[in-house]
Amino acid sequence: MSRRQLGFMLAPYAVGMVALVLLPAAATLMLAFADYDLVQPPQWTGAGNFTELAGDGIFRTALVNSLVFAAVAVPLRLLIALGLALLLHRRARGVGTARTAAALPTAVPEVAYGLLWLWLFNPLYGPINQLLRVGGENGLTALGRTPPQWLTDPTDARAAIIIMSLFTVGESFLVLLAARLVLPPEVYELAAVEDATGWDVFRRITLPLIAPVLGLLLVRDTILSFQVSFVPALVVTDGGPPPYATTYLSLFVYRNAFEYLRYGYAAAATMVMLVLTVAAVILQWRLLRRWR
Amino acid sequence: MTLSVEGLRVAHGAHEVLHGVDLTVASDELLVVLGPSGAGKSTLLRAVAGLTPISAGRVTIRDRDVTRLRPGQRNVAMVFQSYALFPHPPTAETTRSAPSGRAMPRAERADRARRPAATVGCGHLLGRRPGQLSGGERQRVALARALVREPDVFLLDEPLSNLDAELRVEMRAELKALHARVGGATLHVTHDQVEALVLGDRIAVLRDGRIEQVGTPDEIWHAPATTFVARFIGSPPMNLLPSDGPLSGFAPPGMLIGVRPGALRLSDQGAPARVERIEVVGEDAHIYLRLGEHSVVARVPSAQKPASDETHVTVRDGDVHVFDPSTGKRA
Repeated sequence: MSRRQLGFMLAPYAVGMVALVLLPAAATLMLAFADYDLVQPPQWTGAGNFTELAGDGIFRTALVNSLVFAAVAVPLRLLIALGLALLLHRRARGVGTARTAAALPTAVPEVAYGLLWLWLFNPLYGPINQLLRVGGENGLTALGRTPPQWLTDPTDARAAIIIMSLFTVGESFLVLLAARLVLPPEVYELAAVEDATGWDVFRRITLPLIAPVLGLLLVRDTILSFQVSFVPALVVTDGGPPPYATTYLSLFVYRNAFEYLRYGYAAAATMVMLVLTVAAVILQWRLLRRWR
Repeated sequence: MTLSVEGLRVAHGAHEVLHGVDLTVASDELLVVLGPSGAGKSTLLRAVAGLTPISAGRVTIRDRDVTRLRPGQRNVAMVFQSYALFPHPPTAETTRSAPSGRAMPRAERADRARRPAATVGCGHLLGRRPGQLSGGERQRVALARALVREPDVFLLDEPLSNLDAELRVEMRAELKALHARVGGATLHVTHDQVEALVLGDRIAVLRDGRIEQVGTPDEIWHAPATTFVARFIGSPPMNLLPSDGPLSGFAPPGMLIGVRPGALRLSDQGAPARVERIEVVGEDAHIYLRLGEHSVVARVPSAQKPASDETHVTVRDGDVHVFDPSTGKRA
C-alpha cells in the first residue's frame, strides 16, 4: 500500500483525533493556568487555579469522593463481571437469556438509567425499600431498622451511586466471557480427573490464565471510574445530599465550567484528575507486572 | 484385570461413536488402542476417565464399578496430546496432584514430586513455568504429573503426536523403558502403527467405534483378524487379491488372499508383472506392479529393484493370509 493511500485512510481518524482529543486537551492545559468565563478573553493567572484548588474544601470533598468511589466500585464491578462470566460460560438452558440480561443494563442510555434508579431508590414508594420493609412493621425492615434513606443520607447516597454502577458491567462481562471461552478445555478435564476442588481450579487454572485480561480491565475500569459516577450524580443525587456527599471530580468540573462559567478553574481540576488517573494506571501496571 | 470395559456405547447426539466396546487391561500391561482418526479412540479413553458420558456399558477399575463415578473418583491419571499443563510452575503442579491428600505437608509434597520427576528425567525442570518448556520437556512434566498420583490406570491420549519425528522416536523409547520400570495398567491411544507395535504389550485395533482385533503386536502383524487390520498395519499396506487371480493356488476360489509387500519376491518365474512406478525410500524400494488387472506393491531392497519394466512375482505359501471377502474376516 502506498503512503498516499495510507494517508487517505488514516485522515478521518487523524482529523477526529486532533479535533476531539488533542485540541481540547491542549486548550484545557492552557486554560488551567488562566481565568476564562466565555465573555472576556482568558487572563493568565499562572498557578493561581491550582493554589485555589488546594484550599478549596469542595474540591477536596470531590477528590475524596472520587477516590473512595474508585476504590470500592472498581474491584466490585470487576468481581461481578468475572463472577457472571464464570457462571454463564457453560452451555445450558437459559444461558443465552442470562447473558443478555447481564449485558443489557450497559446498553441503556445513561440518563434513562439514572431516572430509572431515581424511582427504584425512592425511600417511600420505591421498590427497593418496599422489598426491604417486607416482614417488618411500621415502615421498618424485618430486623427493626429504618430502611436506607438512599438519596438524603450522605453515606446511603454514596452507596446508591456505587450500587448503580454495579449493574453496568456488560462490557467487562463480555470480554471476560470471551476470555474464559477460549481457555483450553483439556486443562479443566485434567483437573476433573485429578479431582481438583472448584477453588483450586479457579486459583490454579482460571485466574492465572485470565489474569492478563483481568489486569487490562482493571486499568480500563479505573480510568473509566472518574466518568461513570458523573451521570448518576447529576441525575439521581444532584451532587448531594448536602454538603456535596456525591459531588465527584467529574461533577465538580462540570459545575465549575458549565454552571459557574469558571473554565480555567475547571480545567485545572481536570488536570488534577488526569494526573491522578495516570498515577493510578502506572501503579496498577507495576503491581500487575510484579505479580506475574 | 485392573481395567475392564464391557459393552461400552457412547453417542454424540443421534450419532453413535462407540458401538459396544469390550476391553480388558491387566495390571502392568500397556494396551495400545490403535485406529484411524474418527474411529473413537479418544472417546473410548475419555469414557474410561469419565469425561464423556456413556449411553450403555460398564467400566470397572480394580473390581470397583466406576461407571457412575466422577472422573476424580476413578483414580486414573491422564496425559493429553496438548499436555494440558497448568499455568502454574510445574513443581506446584506435580505436587498438588498427590493421590489422596489435599492435606499433605508441603515438604512431603515436594518430595513426592521429586521422585517421579527424576524418574522421567525432568527433575531440573520443576521450578520452571510451562511457557518456558519445550515440547519434549512438557511431555515429561505431564508424565511426571501422572506418576505422582500413583493411579490405578494410566490413560495416555496420543501423548507423542505433538512432538517432531526425531523427538517422537526418542520419547517412544523412553516411554517404553518408563513403563517397564514403573509398570501400571496403561491405555495408550495412538493412530501411529509403529508406536503401537513398539510400545504395546497388546494392541486393540478400533474402526468406526468397533474393535476389529485385540492381540499382541505379533498376532496383529502375523495373523490380522480382518482385512482392515491387515491393511491398516504395515506400510505400504498389505496387497489383497482374489484367490483365483494372478497368484492362485493358495486358497479355494472365491476367497481373498493377502500378501505383505515385503513377502512378494521378484524373480524370473512366477506370475508376470509390469513395473508401473518405483519409489526408493532409503534402503527399501517400493515397486508398484501391475498383475493382470490388479495393482500390487512389493518392497525389496533398493539394490534389487528391477532393471526392466517386465518382471515376475512369486510368493511363499506361509506368507499368504486368507480372508473371507463377504465378512472381511480371516478364514
